[in-house]
Amino acid sequence: MGNKMILVNVLRRPIRTAVSILAVAIEVAMVLIVVGLTTGLLNDAARRTEGVGADVMVQPSGASFMFSLSSAPVPIKVGERLGEVPHVLAVAPVLFQSDLSTHGLGVIFGIDLESWNRVSGGFVYLSGGPFHDTMDVLVDDWYAKANHLKVGSTLSLLSQNFHVCGIVEHGKGSRLFIPLATAQDLSSSHDKASIFFVKCTDPGYADDVTLAIQRLLPGWEVHSIKQYMSMMTSSNLPALDTFISAMIGLAVSIGFLVIFLSMYTTITERTREIGILKSLGASKAYILGIILKEASLLALVGIVAGYLGTALVRKILVESFPTLYVEPMSAGWAAKAALLALMGALIGACYPALRAARLDPVDALAYE
Amino acid sequence: MEPIILTEDLKKVYRIGKVDVPALRGVNLIVEEGDYVAIVGPSGCGKSTLLHILGGLTGPSGGRVLVDGNDFCCMDDADRTRFRRHKIGFVFQRFNLLPTLTARDNIALAQSIQGNGFNPHRFQQVAEMLGIAEKLNHRPYEMSGGEQQRVAIARAVICEPKILLADEPTGNLDTENSQLVLNMLRTLNRSFRQTILMITHNPEAAAVADRIVRMRDGRVVSA
Repeated sequence: MGNKMILVNVLRRPIRTAVSILAVAIEVAMVLIVVGLTTGLLNDAARRTEGVGADVMVQPSGASFMFSLSSAPVPIKVGERLGEVPHVLAVAPVLFQSDLSTHGLGVIFGIDLESWNRVSGGFVYLSGGPFHDTMDVLVDDWYAKANHLKVGSTLSLLSQNFHVCGIVEHGKGSRLFIPLATAQDLSSSHDKASIFFVKCTDPGYADDVTLAIQRLLPGWEVHSIKQYMSMMTSSNLPALDTFISAMIGLAVSIGFLVIFLSMYTTITERTREIGILKSLGASKAYILGIILKEASLLALVGIVAGYLGTALVRKILVESFPTLYVEPMSAGWAAKAALLALMGALIGACYPALRAARLDPVDALAYE
Repeated sequence: MEPIILTEDLKKVYRIGKVDVPALRGVNLIVEEGDYVAIVGPSGCGKSTLLHILGGLTGPSGGRVLVDGNDFCCMDDADRTRFRRHKIGFVFQRFNLLPTLTARDNIALAQSIQGNGFNPHRFQQVAEMLGIAEKLNHRPYEMSGGEQQRVAIARAVICEPKILLADEPTGNLDTENSQLVLNMLRTLNRSFRQTILMITHNPEAAAVADRIVRMRDGRVVSA
């Protein structure tokens, strides 16, 4: 009977119920989208770096594993020394160029096509072909789709007009590639590189080669791809965890405040009914229970709506921004978001519920 | 045999702002089990306060209250709530039915709160006795005042309380419905020896009771 009363009360005020459910849904969707976007960003970058095909990455001291945050380049001659390390098959120097206006947090790879092909096994050309000119650019298929590019198109990058010479399959380091010499010219970094991708004669030598390079170049950031993949987590990125926590805090606050207000007005409106329940012998725990159950019901429906909203927003984002990778909702984060929403709703309903439980029955029955 | 209600020098003082307002100034009352007692008196004489104390809705400020052998002076709010759940049934002037629930659910709610579960036999018996069997699926706004009050009586007696406390049960009813409700209360008292305390301003309603208790200025002036 208590549950039926709760359901009837929820249906009695459809607008208030809808607003409460919407707030919880926004809370859940906000948590899941923020997490999906940030982990998607990291995982996409990690997968593309892994897709280069190298076994070891060598960066100068102080460089970040997020390429867009990397420090000043170093002489390209270092690559020659790396090539002499036992079990090293090939070394591909790459110079990073950032162009935030067109490429977000990603970087443009300035590559020497010959060494790049030795390390990566070469691009898969979906149309067009390799560089023929200093102002040629290779774009991956996702970038081409998102920016409506085809072979022969002109692409403005780094304040220059580049000619799209080929469209390659996505998944190898960057979405945009220009000749290494062009990248060096545009950044006045002649004979310099930001990173060296090292290919071993056998992937099993990756750890040995990593150690050997660390001895050769003390203080440098030398990591096997396996190590790099394990480093690509939000906790290793400056302020990302704080950002995620802040967004989650904001989302939970929205749910908490709306449920608090909703339940508070509910209690005020139902003061007389609470008096009636008390006159029938309903205990404080009973009153507390029906208010908290009502808040839980709103939260649970909101959570389901939040899941559906997340799926919808993700679909819209992926279709509108093909280069943006939003990680699909994971069971772990779905559970965490649900728990946060439920806890927020229960905490929000706590004060109104306690207030209702403490109402004086005589005063409540006299309430107009 | 011990009376079902016994009050000795019962006092109740309300504090309004910084002023103490005495509502009961030493009420002495004895009610035996199975009695049908009408309490009459002018507005503000303390009738409703007495009823609220006897029903455990509020505690006394002084004196002694024994209801079915339970001393309310020694009981906290939780104890009084538990007592009320099992021993007291209330009927109010304004019916006080939950507007979102049907008559059936309003009555069943009392059984649910009492915790003994739904008793279909008792339910049917009460519904037929009060003539509301046809109205059980109606919500309060779909019923007349008389029907609502009969549902309220059904809710009050469904759990077989020791005492039925009625606060002006005919106050919002026309003559015909008032008579109907009074007959119901009389039947409950006669057929089931239901102890009833009824507050009323209506001399005709008071006349139905076995005994009339008159109150004035927070005291019983004749019992």
